[in-house]
Order: sequence, then structure tokens, then C-alpha cells
Amino acid sequence: MKITTRPITLTINGKKQGPLDIAEGMMMIDFLNEYVNLTGSRLGCGQGVCHACVVIEDQPDGSSHETRTCITGAHYFDGKAIRTVEGHATINDKGEEVPSPVQQAFMDHYSFQCGYCTPGFVNAATVFIEGLKRNPIARDELEEAILKAMNNHICRCTGYVRYYEAVRDLVLKTPGLIRETKNG
Amino acid sequence: MAKRRFLPALFLIVVVLLIIVAVLWWRENRSNDNPVQKVSATDEQIARGRYAARAADCAACHTVEGGGLFAGGFPMETPFGTVHGSNITPSADYGIGRWTREDFHRAVREGITPGGRHLYPAMPYNSYYMMSDQDLDDIYAYLMTRPAIDVPTPQNDLPFPFNQRFLMIGWNLLFQNKDPLPAVSSGDSELWVRGRYLTDVMGHCAECHTPRGMFGQMDLAQSLKGGTLGRFKAADITPSGLAERGWTPGDLGQFLATGTAPQGSAFSEMHMVVALSTQYLTKEDMTAMTTYLMGDKPPPPKVAQLTPGGDKGRAQYLNLCAGCHGVSGEGKPNVAPAMAGNATIRQGDATNLIASILDGLPEQAFPGNSNMQSMPGFARKLNDQQMAELVNYTRTTWGGLPGDITAAQIDALREH
Ligand code: FES
Ligand code: FES
Repeated sequence: MKITTRPITLTINGKKQGPLDIAEGMMMIDFLNEYVNLTGSRLGCGQGVCHACVVIEDQPDGSSHETRTCITGAHYFDGKAIRTVEGHATINDKGEEVPSPVQQAFMDHYSFQCGYCTPGFVNAATVFIEGLKRNPIARDELEEAILKAMNNHICRCTGYVRYYEAVRDLVLKTPGLIRETKNG
Repeated sequence: MAKRRFLPALFLIVVVLLIIVAVLWWRENRSNDNPVQKVSATDEQIARGRYAARAADCAACHTVEGGGLFAGGFPMETPFGTVHGSNITPSADYGIGRWTREDFHRAVREGITPGGRHLYPAMPYNSYYMMSDQDLDDIYAYLMTRPAIDVPTPQNDLPFPFNQRFLMIGWNLLFQNKDPLPAVSSGDSELWVRGRYLTDVMGHCAECHTPRGMFGQMDLAQSLKGGTLGRFKAADITPSGLAERGWTPGDLGQFLATGTAPQGSAFSEMHMVVALSTQYLTKEDMTAMTTYLMGDKPPPPKVAQLTPGGDKGRAQYLNLCAGCHGVSGEGKPNVAPAMAGNATIRQGDATNLIASILDGLPEQAFPGNSNMQSMPGFARKLNDQQMAELVNYTRTTWGGLPGDITAAQIDALREH
């Protein structure tokens, strides 16, 4: 059997990768795990259900959304910009890694146990909060919006409550995400 | 002079018209205070009634997700507005608790409820009018022995003048069926005759699968040639239409019994039909139905003339579809149906194919513990040109159809 390859080039976590010759039909999760050594994205179900494998797709218009890498071919991402769970933490001037606010909130709330689902949840919550920065919502819409944003993600361990509470607390203490309404 | 005689005449006409409208309005809106009916029935009759009610798919419209069985509330979108399935439990004030056997027969066959109130033809009385006394009696006995659920039917959302039920008097004069629906296949076997009854009367398949005219009436000259009520088009289910897309009576029977077949899985409203109705048909009745749908001498399934699809479309397919539907379109059991041999891809009109790629489809469970996963929508991931390439790739590779879908056709189906 002949495997046809084509080159792909893309931006991952702000860094240009490629051109790399990749088999057509290879799924993105395999590309990330095997070709660019980004092993943080998790293969769970492998068929689009659990959302453990999602990455953030950054759109040219500044918006972002989640894409499942287990059912999306690597070549789909040719020319695109994505972020994986490895791209969230920053380095401070002392050279230490500082988790992103979402990551910190998950740790503060003991949101995960085994952590298998966590990269997906980090990306989902980040996309959610970035969406709120662009379009703040009213306070009384928050709970439902969190549910809608995170609901597709499956976690075997923690029962979701701690993820949910972490996101809610983070939204409430981050200025600019909740629209001011007449009744406060 | 002429003017002086004209005015009183006009006045009189207006008054008479107003009185007629008032009387008609009163007839449609008065409450029914007939005595509450007590019905008793044998277990056998109730079992027969349950079977007949399933064959007639009463639950589809008279039950809403999360609501009580037959307590009504299902919102049916029509081009004229939203009509809600009514409560048909024996509730005295909200259901059919005060209806006699005769009242029930008339409502189902003629669309007129006790007191003279007209039903909208969303209630398929234009199919049910040939229902046998036996089936009606059995369904009546079954319904009247269910627990009464006292919930009101939600208000319909119909703009004026469609919210005036007495207009149905005129509609019925013009469009009410008196004769059997035209046969769509030829046959005279016992199975065929039974199948015709199950399809045209009980299953009321024509209501969705037949095109409709501007007053919402079925265009019976084109019975079962495909309907256009919702986002998805109901397919052509005449023998030639079915054979054109590769159906055989055996596969069709499997599809109606289980919701899946080599030709694909049931989605949208048809999924509901399988879940609530056809899966319960006996083997014999199922054979009868498929015998009628495809005729005593079914046409052979058409073999699609496949041609390889374009490279760009293939790249889209490998990027976004192959993960679930397989690199060669072979599908995965309990995940996603096969593309090879798929009847939706083989539909000449690509509306259903395009709409499902744009919107995605929800996860669906099927009889026998099988299911299909939800399909993501790709409206945001592909532009019109890319989506046309993908659609055309599937049409030529697996549909044996021309790859002639344009970007403009994709755009027209986007929900802007
Ligand atoms: S691994 Fe991708 S959705 Fe489960
Ligand atoms: S923490 Fe173990 S799966 Fe979520």
C-alpha cells in the first residue's frame, strides 16, 4: 500500500511548524503526539465523543473555537493557527512557569483527579472566557452559558462540579466578562 | 336613487356576514360539557388498540419529549405557523374524556371534534379517513383506558387568518379526501392490500412524503414522490424513487424495523417514526408495508455508476469526515453510517446531504441498543466553495450522481 503524503505548515502555540510531510488522512491527534512532540492533547474515545482531544482553533477575525483532533485530519489545519494545552502557561521574569488563570483556577478548586480530561477542559474554559471578553453576558445567564460551553466534555473522575465552580468563580472575579445590567 | 337603495342592502349583507362569522366562531370555541365517558375494554382489545395507535403513530404529535404519553404539546412547524398536538388522554377538561366512540371516529376521520370545532389538517384526517371501525374502536378503547393527564394543550402559534378554525370548512370543501389515496405501486396480493392500508391510512406516510400545494393540501397526483415540509426533504418513496436510491424491500423492512440499513440510518423526523411507530409492526405487517411501497413485483435496485471524485473534495472528506465515516466511506457500526451505498447521498436533490453537513445531526438511539453518534455541523469550518467540493465528491464517489452542486446552492441552504 502506498501512503500519500503532503506537506503541512501551521502555527502551534504561536510557533510556526513545518513544512512537514504528513500522510493524508492522518488525524491531528497523531500529528500532535507523534510528529511535534506535543503529548498534552489526549486521545480518549477517538471518535469525537469525549472531547479530551480538543485544541483551540484561532480564527483570523480574532475569535476562537474548539476542534476535536481525533476526528479532524492534520491537513485540515494546514495554514491555520491553533493552541494546545502546552500553550497556556507563561514564563515569568524569574524563568518560572506560571499557569494560565484557567489552569490556576482548576488547581485551586481541585477540579481534576487523573487529569486525562483536563487538557480538553482547559481549552474549553479558555475558549469560553475569550468569548465572554468579546461578548460579555448578563450575570443571570452565566450558569447556563458555562453548562453549554463545557457540557460536551466528559470526565470520568470528578463529577464535573469542581470544573464548573472553577469556571464560574474565575468569570466572576475577572473584570469585563459580565455585562452590567440595571439591577446590578 | 341607486345609491340610496344600495346602502341599506350593503348594511344588511354586512350584518348577515357578521352573524355568520359570530356563529361559526362560537361553534369553534364553545366548551364541551357532555358527560365524562367511562370506557371498559378487555386486555386483548387494549393490546390491539396499542398496536393500532403505534401503527398510526399517534404518539409522534400527541406526546412531547418529557411530557406524559398522549398528553399533547408537540410543536409542529408548518408554513402557516406552529400547531400543537393536543392532549388525547381521557382528561375530562383537557383531553378526550367527554368524547363518545362516535365523537372519536368523527374527529379522526373528518377532523371535527364534538361541538363542531375543526381540527387543522396537521391532524392527518386526510389519511385516516379510511381507518377501519375496528382499528378506531380499538384505539379509542386503548386511549380511554390510559391515565388521564390534566394538562392543557399549548396555544397554537398561528397568525390571523389561519388562527380562525372555521376557515377549515372551506379547506375541507376543497381538499377533503373521499377516495383512497392513489396507489403508488401495482399489486393485488393480500400483503399488498394490507400494506396499502398500513402505509396510506395508518402510517399516513403521504402526509410528509407528498409535495403540498399553496394551501397546504397534498398534491395527490404526486403521491409519495417526496415532500418539502421541513429543513430536510422527505424522500421519494415510490417504487421507482426507492429503487433509484438502491432500496430493496428487504432493506427497507430492516430500515423501518431498526432505523438502520446498508442505505443509511433514519434521521430527523423519520428517526421519530421508526422509534415510535414502525419498529413495533409485526413481521407480517412490515412485509405488507414494503410490498405496497415497492409493489408486488419490485423494481431491481439501481446500480450506481460511480466515478472518482475530485482531489479537493477528497481532501475535505479525509480531513473532516473520514475519522467517523471511514477513509473509503465504509462507516463504523454505532458511530456513523457508511457513505458507500448511502441513499441520502444518492438523492438527486442534495438538500438533505447539504443540510446535514451544515447543521450536523444529533446523537440517535435505535431499537436493539444500537445508536449513531452526533455529527458535528461544518457550517463554520467550510466555506461554500469547499463544501460544494465535498458534496460533489460524495455524490460522484458514492452516489453515481453528477458533481454539479454549486457554491450558491450551499449558500442558499445556510441558516444566515
Ligand atoms: S478523543 Fe477526541 S473526542 Fe474523544
Ligand atoms: S479527571 Fe480523570 S477523567 Fe477527568
